Amino acid sequence: MISLLFHVVNGALIGLLYSLVAMGFIIIYRSARVFNFAQGEVVVVGAFLVWSFSQYFGLPLWVSLVFAFAASILLGLAIERSIFRPLVGEELFSLVMVTIGLLVLIRGLVLVTWGAEVHFFPKVFPTAGIRIGPLILDKGLVIGAGLTIFAAAFFSWFFNRTRTGLEMTAVAEDHQIALSLGLNVKRSIAIAWAISGVLCTMAATIFLSGKGMTFLVSDIGLAALPVALLAGLESVGGLILAGALIGISMGVAEHFLDPIFQGGVGAVFPFIIMIIVLLIRPSGLFGWKTIERI
Amino acid sequence: MTRPAGVFSQTYDEDQAIIRTRPQWYWFIGFMIFMFTLPFFGGGRALGIMNMIWITVIAVVGLQINVGYAGQVNLGQSAFMGVGAYAAGALTFHFDLPIWITIPAAGISSAIFGAMFGLAAVRVKGFYLALTTIAAQYIFAFAMIKLPKAWFGQIEGLRLNPVSLLGFEFNNDLRMYYLVASITVLMIYGAWGLVRSRTGRAFVAVRDNDNAANIIGIDVFYYKFLSFFIGAFYAGVAGALWGYYVRYIHADQFTLWLSVWYLSMLIVGGMGSILGAIIGTVGIRSLQEMITYLGPKITEIELFSAIGGEVVFASMNVLLGGIIILFVIFEPRGLYHRWNIIKETYRIWPFPH
Repeated sequence: MISLLFHVVNGALIGLLYSLVAMGFIIIYRSARVFNFAQGEVVVVGAFLVWSFSQYFGLPLWVSLVFAFAASILLGLAIERSIFRPLVGEELFSLVMVTIGLLVLIRGLVLVTWGAEVHFFPKVFPTAGIRIGPLILDKGLVIGAGLTIFAAAFFSWFFNRTRTGLEMTAVAEDHQIALSLGLNVKRSIAIAWAISGVLCTMAATIFLSGKGMTFLVSDIGLAALPVALLAGLESVGGLILAGALIGISMGVAEHFLDPIFQGGVGAVFPFIIMIIVLLIRPSGLFGWKTIERI
Repeated sequence: MTRPAGVFSQTYDEDQAIIRTRPQWYWFIGFMIFMFTLPFFGGGRALGIMNMIWITVIAVVGLQINVGYAGQVNLGQSAFMGVGAYAAGALTFHFDLPIWITIPAAGISSAIFGAMFGLAAVRVKGFYLALTTIAAQYIFAFAMIKLPKAWFGQIEGLRLNPVSLLGFEFNNDLRMYYLVASITVLMIYGAWGLVRSRTGRAFVAVRDNDNAANIIGIDVFYYKFLSFFIGAFYAGVAGALWGYYVRYIHADQFTLWLSVWYLSMLIVGGMGSILGAIIGTVGIRSLQEMITYLGPKITEIELFSAIGGEVVFASMNVLLGGIIILFVIFEPRGLYHRWNIIKETYRIWPFPH
């Protein structure tokens, strides 16, 4: 019983972490209409940036975190400036295909710069567990869940209430129309990429605090996709519910199915949920229902 | 297609022919001779590379039908290939069936697996679809490792003996080359015919605007589904050949990363053209092999000795990632388009237009 409870609570916390990665993904999607396959790689770069500043250059932890966040904003802006700006107004297909190139490119750059060996991420959060009732939980994950909920609330407000946020939503609708209305398409997309870069680094920090990492951490970018999809690809607030749902069902599946399959169910279960969601409700829980015209 | 002045069709059959003019026949026969005598120009390692290139060509041509023609983004091609490899491997391993049964059977089983994920394509549009194909990848890897050991060998994979056809054993690279090359030619011929048929045109209509296609009476659901079926069939055949060539099948060989490569080959070669898929595959694979070959040589040079071998290998990703991005930005129509320009220039030379 305790084991089930632990799986449920821990699953929910991990699900919320996925929500954070998915948030970076969704913010790019709902303001640039780009389906960013390279999201996981941006997480890896964020992680290695924190590692470089704190371990390689030996800066204090909080300074290196600030530097890493600044650098990830720059990375987001650089990606936008060099790759997506020349493609403003191009067809959607090119916009997505270019992220495949980005995925390959960033992975190569990470391998050239940091190599394939295991690096140890600095301890940002204390490793000691938190005791809640009978459960002992990872402190980093608990703090991370709090940060995720805060970020979701903030960006929900940002996209629905501020002028910039609404402009970004309009840009997502159609580049040409947004341009003709006098909106700054380039600026909107740049902001989206910068925010996404920060969220990726944040997710990397929470996920990896005190752990060993290689370039393969990028898999989290794919693991976050079911969460993004269940939320509906456009809803930032819905991510919290979707993340928790996926996390909990993952935990429950691990608890009941792992003994049968000798482990490994947790990694594949979100994808099974995803297929079911796609078949029943392709626009997710809170996605926009679009009416298409010719 | 533009033809030189004075060349026109006089019968319906002539109009429908794939190869229309006499020079085209010369080139075609010349190329076939070249392709089947290729092993005698370069043996050993080069032969192995060529085998892998032809196998990849089959998978990428399938992907081209699926992505380039029908417009359904697919990141699961390598999983589909894996299903084909396992199916062919298991049929050979357990039942010792001849390859003229196992290879089509591998294609069909992979096609069924692919079409299952294509079913989701019926409901969803565009890039949501990429998600279901990523799911295919995860489910494939999980299933192959977890299914009973007697079926697919779980974590140990499947080891195969050389297969044979009518007593002829495909036990070395040279013999394998002829099997692979013949099937590749057959599959490409099929693809060429398919894309100019009603089905191919329906795919293009669905790709360009599925609402409009629906209105003019094309069954969008059916054609989306069919494109997955056919694309995965090609992957399955490629997987079966891969299995018979490598003679070892394991789920780890068929990664998402491989699917990403296949898609990159399409981008570089050019979307929406069978020839583009072939050019892209041959181009990217040759580049990969060149870097693998040159990499160790570069580190031997004194000046660059500080660079480790793995850095050279990683820079391959940088180079290819850069190439893909540059192609999308500057030449979205791919190498195929360049090839057409060259061909056109050659035809009308010395006139500019």
